[in-house]
Amino acid sequence: MLKYIKWVTAMMLAVGMLVSCKEEFPVDEDGLLITTRSQCYVSNFELLGPDFQTVRVENAVIDTTAQTINVKVFYGTDLKNLYPQFSLVTDAKLEPKIIGKEDFSDLSKPKQYTVVSGNRKVRKTYTVNLTVQTP
Amino acid sequence: MKHTYLYCFLVLIGMVSLSSCEEEEYAIPTLKQELQNDVIKRTLGPNLVGMNIEFAYAMALPKTLGKLVSAEVTAMIDGAEATYLENRSFYTNGSGEDVGIEVGSKSVNSGGKTTVTFTKDTSAATLRYFYRIPTTARGKEVSFQFTAKASNGQSVSYSMGPYKIAEMDMVLDLDVVDSTKAFISIEDMAVYNAADAAANASKIDLVYLYRSIPNITFSHGLVSPSAKTYLPGVILPAGATRSTKVQKVWNLRDFHLARLQYGVYIDDLDFQQLNISAAPDYAINMRAEAGVWVETQDGKYRAYVYVNSVNNNTKSAKISIKRYLMK
Repeated sequence: MLKYIKWVTAMMLAVGMLVSCKEEFPVDEDGLLITTRSQCYVSNFELLGPDFQTVRVENAVIDTTAQTINVKVFYGTDLKNLYPQFSLVTDAKLEPKIIGKEDFSDLSKPKQYTVVSGNRKVRKTYTVNLTVQTP
Repeated sequence: MKHTYLYCFLVLIGMVSLSSCEEEEYAIPTLKQELQNDVIKRTLGPNLVGMNIEFAYAMALPKTLGKLVSAEVTAMIDGAEATYLENRSFYTNGSGEDVGIEVGSKSVNSGGKTTVTFTKDTSAATLRYFYRIPTTARGKEVSFQFTAKASNGQSVSYSMGPYKIAEMDMVLDLDVVDSTKAFISIEDMAVYNAADAAANASKIDLVYLYRSIPNITFSHGLVSPSAKTYLPGVILPAGATRSTKVQKVWNLRDFHLARLQYGVYIDDLDFQQLNISAAPDYAINMRAEAGVWVETQDGKYRAYVYVNSVNNNTKSAKISIKRYLMK
């Protein structure tokens, strides 16, 4: 009888360990939680100069349907050294990652950034169109 | 046997707890029957040539033993002419003002030694010492020996330092005016008018200008002669072609340059580690309390130009510069 109980206990322990090791919260390649949210948009956009002060003349115009961000910057802005800042909907992430200064100097080739939704299934590519103040 | 050990152990615990619970009574410290001294350094930040390092030197002995005779400071590198030891002892009155009481003759400099001889009967004094950093100390280390002598023959000393003297130079409150006094030379740490700029054309690193142009924000600018786009209406002296790297900075109000309440100092290390290779050759839309990192075309000098104030009506500004010679 005692031997029987021992066996059952061992089995239960083994099963318990297996169950507890199962991953319940999936994460993506960045270690970020993959959720159920499918929303995918940019809610705010900021552009800072090398002195960490804004270079925008006015608020950036974000069109979530056309997937464009139109931003007008001051005359004389150093377009090669800018820090873009995206505010995204909850759980979304941006590709490519912004890790430092970005070069926006080629105005004919606007930079593009892709927003990936919380469930990592919806991807939307936004185009950042810069215009510089002219006299 | 087992119980004996336990018993001993309990007794031991009891004794330890009793002894640790004993309250130590406060005793008024006894006055040391000797001459004593102490020093604090009052200035903070890097030590720049031409500025002071300030100390407060306190010395005292019991009244029954005698009075103070002299106080002396020896600097390992002779201080500049303006070095002095205060001959007044200060106290703070009810309104928070420092009031000085003369206790000795004016200090005498002899080489690196600065001496005050006491003329009042006093057994305690705090004298301030101002070491004006000489050019010869640039990049070196300087230390100090403070010595006090009493009438009973006792003497005490206190060593301070060594303190590193910075390599950088500084110039404060240069007035720049659009079109008239607008040509800045980092090499000469000076601002030139058009006539002088023509004579020093090859040394012009930056041009100051103020523009109010419709539809754009230009205002105050520090532009290198090569950035002609951002020099509208500026007549450059022939030969002024330098392309200076300029990077705008905000919120860096160096204490020496700004003389505001912010305890931020730019030191040699900041210039050594500065990397503005990707910076443009102009900075426009400058505001008061902003600044720019600058690197001259030949890479010989790195500087920080701080804008102390601007005036849109007179199209002028006041700037201060810290400069570092690259090796």
